[in-house]
Amino acid sequence: MQRMFMRRTGLALLLMLAATALTFALVSAAPGNVAALIAERAAGAGADGEMIAKIANDLGLNDPLPVRYLRWLGDAVQGDFGVSLRTGKPMSEEFAARIPKTLALLAGGGVLALALSLVMGLAGAVSNGGIVDKLLHGLALVGASTPNFFVAAMLVIVFSVMLGWVPTFGVSGFTSWLLPWITIALFPGSVLARVVRVNLQEAMSRPFATTGFAKGLTRRAVLLREALPNILIPYMTTFGAQFTLMMIGAIVVERVFGLNGIGAFFIEAIRFRDFIGMQAVLMLFVVFFVSVNLIVDIAAMLADPRLRRPRKA
Amino acid sequence: MKNWPWLILTPAIIFVLIGLFAPFLMTHDPTVQDYKAILSPASWSHWLGTDYLGRDMYSRIIGGARTSLVAMVFVLLAALVIGVVIGSFAGYVGGRTELVLISIIDIALALPSLIIALALIGVFSGASWSWMSDYWKMIIALTLAWWANYARMSRAVVVAELQQPYIEAARVMGASHMWIFTKHILPHVLGLVVVYASADAGALVLAIATLSFLGLGVAPPTPEWGQMLVDGMSYIEEFPSLVIIPGLALTAVVVSFNLLGEAFALQKVPKAVRGGLLRRKKATRAAEETARAATEAKV
Repeated sequence: MQRMFMRRTGLALLLMLAATALTFALVSAAPGNVAALIAERAAGAGADGEMIAKIANDLGLNDPLPVRYLRWLGDAVQGDFGVSLRTGKPMSEEFAARIPKTLALLAGGGVLALALSLVMGLAGAVSNGGIVDKLLHGLALVGASTPNFFVAAMLVIVFSVMLGWVPTFGVSGFTSWLLPWITIALFPGSVLARVVRVNLQEAMSRPFATTGFAKGLTRRAVLLREALPNILIPYMTTFGAQFTLMMIGAIVVERVFGLNGIGAFFIEAIRFRDFIGMQAVLMLFVVFFVSVNLIVDIAAMLADPRLRRPRKA
Repeated sequence: MKNWPWLILTPAIIFVLIGLFAPFLMTHDPTVQDYKAILSPASWSHWLGTDYLGRDMYSRIIGGARTSLVAMVFVLLAALVIGVVIGSFAGYVGGRTELVLISIIDIALALPSLIIALALIGVFSGASWSWMSDYWKMIIALTLAWWANYARMSRAVVVAELQQPYIEAARVMGASHMWIFTKHILPHVLGLVVVYASADAGALVLAIATLSFLGLGVAPPTPEWGQMLVDGMSYIEEFPSLVIIPGLALTAVVVSFNLLGEAFALQKVPKAVRGGLLRRKKATRAAEETARAATEAKV
């Protein structure tokens, strides 16, 4: 058991290293880029080749790639992610200012997706083939297919423009978070509702459910007491995957609603060729995605003893 | 073809047809600006009105379908070829080569495809890539972000299929690797991967629109739905139709492709259709499950 944890954690760390090395190699694939950009910032259009070469030399950009990666990694582990080429501030400051916003967005969206999926999935299972079930199935499909920027736009049209309940843009208090949360929760909520529905249906056809009926339990009691615990593992796994995918939703939502989070910073970094900023955010993403997957794996192992056995090759 | 879910497929089919025949369906040039007819409502000359530059909305929607369709087909085919080649090679050869290739695939799958595509577009924005147009940067970035899904799927099918007794029989009969691969393995791989790739079309249309919405995909004046939508956002209070029309078009197409995917996943599509090219008599359960997990896990 403990050995499995160690193995998974080790593999996750290895994956993080490999993925950051790959992104580092990719981002620095265009040599001289960073130096040229810094020179441009410093001297305007008057940056000449000599100045660029000097900056490249000073920053050690002429060293071989592995050396540069190790140096970058050493700095990053100590909390130094370089200085953003776009804003001119250290990336650690940018992170400190922006990560809380993105986390608030993801957390609120995650809670909402959880609630939405459980309500929709359970209501569908209770109705079981009835009109409510069919309706919810359709709703889940549309929810999983509507682009999140369109969802955001429609929410703005209805709740800000038509009803005037919440501000269109920017962050000012609790209500301004509502539309962003709903926007990013709709997609994972719909996918998870399907997971709840399908797995409940599967559990209801298992022998223990029949036993429950034979004992004289009502359908609802079998559903909630016997079948519901069975969806835990597929639900957790899908939730983990969907939670990481919410980062994409966050990128879009931060732009639409003008939240200055990590996602908005990433897009700006790409547009302004801020390679240092891009590299730092990508590292953050890799750590985020790999850790969420690791947590889900470990949680699944804790919940289901069958997964603790080492897999046969 | 009787049991095909025709109704749900209608938007997808209309989308493909509109994309193919776009030039004949447009009433105006979608890039021409008419300052005398800015933000005009729907009329006989402009069926869906005009946008903030006086461009005909109807023609831009039609043109947008073509832009998306062409980009989607390019990315899907390229990612499919790369994924199938790398994945089946890894599965067939095995050993250390497989381990290396699998590691690369796993690294590529550690980040969501769209984030990889964004990062690659960022890399391509560097000075040494300026010879490439934004459109091709997007297509190449999406291809490089997408192939790993198909590679993992292909490898799973190959590994499962190699354990079948008939492969050993063929080998005993003296069949070459090339023969075994092309005659026995490849049809199975293609059968599964092509089906899932076709169901993936919706996710890809969505990805293209999202990139363009973020200003990192199809650049103006080429019409594209995501970009039309983001342009319309500035006029959302007075002219919400500028946002609603491209949004609805996009949603309809994605819903339709996703329904197709669901029909495949639940095996609702009749066997006769899955036969022929999509022949797979006994693709083992493990392979199917891996493939299903792969399609479910991505956007």
